[in-house]
Amino acid sequence: MNSALKNIRRTPFQALSAVFVVSITLYVVGIFTLVTLASHSILLNFETKPQIIAYLKDGHTTDQVAGLISTLTSTQGVKNASYISKQDALELYKKSVGNDPVLLGTVTDWGIVTADILPASVEITASNPKSFQTIASILEKSEVVSETPAGKKEIDFPQDVISELTKWTNAIRMAGFLLIIALTIVCILTIMIIISMKISSRRIEIGTLKLLGAQNFYIIKPYITESVIYGLVGALFGWVMTYITLLYSTPFLAPRLSGVIPFPVRLEIVLGLLLALLVFGLVLSFVSSLFATARFVKRSK
Amino acid sequence: MIDFSHVTKAYPNGDVVLDDVNFSVSPGEFVIITGASGAGKTTLGRLLIRDLIPTKGKIVIDGEDLSKIKTKNIPLIRRKIGFIFQDYKIIPDKTVGENISLSLEIGGYTSKKIPEKISSLLELVGIPKKENLFPGQLSGGEVQRAAIARAIACDSPILFADEPTGNLDKETSIEIFNLLQKINSVGTTVIMATHDVTLIDLSSARRLRLEKGKIISDTEKKPTKSTEQPGTTTVIPAKAGIHQDDTIKTRHSNSSLRGAKRRGNLTPSTKKSS
Repeated sequence: MNSALKNIRRTPFQALSAVFVVSITLYVVGIFTLVTLASHSILLNFETKPQIIAYLKDGHTTDQVAGLISTLTSTQGVKNASYISKQDALELYKKSVGNDPVLLGTVTDWGIVTADILPASVEITASNPKSFQTIASILEKSEVVSETPAGKKEIDFPQDVISELTKWTNAIRMAGFLLIIALTIVCILTIMIIISMKISSRRIEIGTLKLLGAQNFYIIKPYITESVIYGLVGALFGWVMTYITLLYSTPFLAPRLSGVIPFPVRLEIVLGLLLALLVFGLVLSFVSSLFATARFVKRSK
Repeated sequence: MIDFSHVTKAYPNGDVVLDDVNFSVSPGEFVIITGASGAGKTTLGRLLIRDLIPTKGKIVIDGEDLSKIKTKNIPLIRRKIGFIFQDYKIIPDKTVGENISLSLEIGGYTSKKIPEKISSLLELVGIPKKENLFPGQLSGGEVQRAAIARAIACDSPILFADEPTGNLDKETSIEIFNLLQKINSVGTTVIMATHDVTLIDLSSARRLRLEKGKIISDTEKKPTKSTEQPGTTTVIPAKAGIHQDDTIKTRHSNSSLRGAKRRGNLTPSTKKSS
């Protein structure tokens, strides 16, 4: 450890550049980890809500509805199908509009909104967006589902929203993944070059150590320790930058994602991120130093 | 202990540096290898620590054939041989203490024992309390003594000194030679490669003469110019560090000194009392 710290003190600018590159890499890793977690929560939020709503004709019978629900639940990819009566629909409506007297119709000529004017429906949750097509075809064939004057079945089908969201989330994940890979390679190369330069500049000393009977591990240990210090310090800085970014963006994100992601972000997630970045930094720096020292070990007798 | 059998070393450019060299060295022996520059003395030392591999022949140390030894075991062989390099190979940006400490760490000494051992080694080689000085702050003779201290730090049974007096004045050379004899007297096998005529003439030790890569003479002990008692090694008087009364008995007659040396507490005062 002392030798490693002495090496760092002797070449402060090399150490600074190594820590800087690791910090930037792990900052990007931290940000994309949070973005991935957030997009996962957003998707989960969408997916746990009813994805398909089929409105039913007035005068439908209980048997007809039971038959439809039975068909749907026995279909692969359907997580849940439930009947929403006119009364249930009214309750949901009231809940969604709150105490707004205009929307409740209490202060207009339209009269009070009653259960009669709201249609009963069947709400379906799919376990997999791929099953949307099958569900849609079942509903299209059902006689109990009401039709528009144009003869089209009245089905709310938010597949486009979800698939669009999934597409964007995947694109962000892929971009983040590629950026992380690129930065990781830059990081490994930077540490490798720094450690190789140090080994090269001390080759006479290393040669002497070998002639004195030092094992390879004894010789490379200070260089691996030095690299690991870069990794851990860089990870710590990367985490601090990520946390500061999170704190600064909280006032902007909190109102927009309320109900989807709880703000402020839980302490366990922040500490978990620190741990993950430290582990990533450790692995990154260890692998880099192994690459650098492996060349020396190969050359040495 | 050491056996060179038909050893030939040729470099890739075709230069034959050693040609069919045969000799054996017994434990506790003091051997001086002489010869002009380029005769193959340094190559012989490098072969001994497996820094080079012989083109032909066999080198055996303590029953181990160096050409058959596994790469991972080479450091273990090197730890058996303390090597005093012609150019010292003292690391300039480390203090004397740190330089010796490296050897001790390699030899498996714990960090608690190292400072004590360094002090006793520096006292033994005649540069006490210099552990915190950098090589640049020492004279040539003192750096050479530091190199000797590093070479003997791990109580290696063999010491190879490659031109240990090559860059030193006559008086300091004699002091260094005395020191090597003192180390030999406690049981360490010493092989010294030199072309220093003064030392060769004053010494009673066995001499191997190398010329153009061949051993042309191998003399057993010859009578020295000073009086010699059977079973003892005469130490040549010198200006500093070691005096006539520092003369110590050989390992055959004083085994307690070997033990003292192994424990790292062999100091001039210890030796005087013996």
